Amino acid sequence: MSEVSQGHQRTFEELSRELEEIVARLERGDVGVDEAIALFKRGEELHKACAERLDAAELRLEELSTADQARRA
Amino acid sequence: MKIAPILYGERKVYTVSAFNRGVARFLTRLPSVWVEGEVTELRRNEAWATVFLTLKDPRTGACLKVTIPRHSFDALELDLEEGETVHVEGRAELYEARGELGLRATTIERLGLGAHLLALEHLKRKLAAEGLFAPERKGTLPRVPRAVGILTGADAAARGDLVATLGRRFPAAKIVVCETRVQGRGAPAAIISALHRLAAHQEVDVLIVARGGGSFEDLLPFSNEAVVRAVAACPVPVVSAVGHEQDTPLVDLVADARAATPTAAAALVVPDAQELRAGLDASRRRLQLAVHGVAGRERERVGRLGQRLESAPRQLLERRRGAVDHLGARLQSLSPHATLARGYAVVRARGGALREAGRVAPGDPLEIELASGGLTATVDEVCA
Repeated sequence: MSEVSQGHQRTFEELSRELEEIVARLERGDVGVDEAIALFKRGEELHKACAERLDAAELRLEELSTADQARRA
Repeated sequence: MKIAPILYGERKVYTVSAFNRGVARFLTRLPSVWVEGEVTELRRNEAWATVFLTLKDPRTGACLKVTIPRHSFDALELDLEEGETVHVEGRAELYEARGELGLRATTIERLGLGAHLLALEHLKRKLAAEGLFAPERKGTLPRVPRAVGILTGADAAARGDLVATLGRRFPAAKIVVCETRVQGRGAPAAIISALHRLAAHQEVDVLIVARGGGSFEDLLPFSNEAVVRAVAACPVPVVSAVGHEQDTPLVDLVADARAATPTAAAALVVPDAQELRAGLDASRRRLQLAVHGVAGRERERVGRLGQRLESAPRQLLERRRGAVDHLGARLQSLSPHATLARGYAVVRARGGALREAGRVAPGDPLEIELASGGLTATVDEVCA
């Protein structure tokens, strides 16, 4: 994740925006094969990171609502 | 008899007796008149043929000596007292021995009810014309006075009723009582002085002038012009509780409020503590209900917000996940590996992808990337 986080913890929005830019560049097709491969590799990392962030958020949300229900009970 | 002067040459000179005689004769030409005044210095002696008294103008203090034959005076059976207002009929007369002017009376009448009523009606019209009884002049009574001033005679009943009612309705009320003379001579001055003393009291916010029932004459001081004017000028609101319902002394008209009885007057000047308390209780109940209503509405609103709060992040996450999945699918469709899987290969020479054959020479090493694994090769021939 060090390549994705780039020194500081980037937000989900920053990560997904970068992913979107990469996909758009690849779709335009004005990149060389090597760059395309590099972009693709980065895109896959970003996609994984985004999916992990969403998983973590969902999990946290679940914890919170469970704790809340426990408190109310 | 002729009054003859003594001649000193050209000058005519009269003796004192002759002068007095002359004036006395001149005065007999004046008509018989009625004179009104207050009786003072009444002197009657069995040994004297004449009764002496002095009539005084209560407004200015001007005095007039009056004489009346004792038999005439006794026949009137007036039983006069000092300070009473009377009408005297007679003629101007000079007491020659002393050169004093007087009134030789033929009859004396105690000022009758009719005359009093007439004078009262006259005064009432005069004060009304001045606007003293106008409703817009009347002040409002304080809702809760710091202290209630009571002006009363040595009238135990009125005072007792007042104090009892004030205490029952509003136990916290302070009461300042000023007892004063309320009838007879000197009563107006005493009432005015008491009024001033009560009005000057630091805490007295309202005044009650109380006087039980009495005869028409007994209540006259409460129609006295100076008393009425003093009440009009009083800086503190005044409630009049004078006489009975049917009596209307002028002080009733000029006072800020009129009460038929002392009890009614007490009810006018202080609130009923029990009613106040009941009003407060009702207000508190309404306040509680209102607060509960507000709290209930707020609870519902917060509940709805809670529901939205719970569902909102999930919806947001779902939308994000949809977007990310979509991007992932787009990314996969662009994968270089998919091209390789169709049988294409990437040929690299000198660290870069090779696009033109002329870039290499026979014997140069090549790296070939396939869908699965890679090869190294050497250039045999270049076909340009």
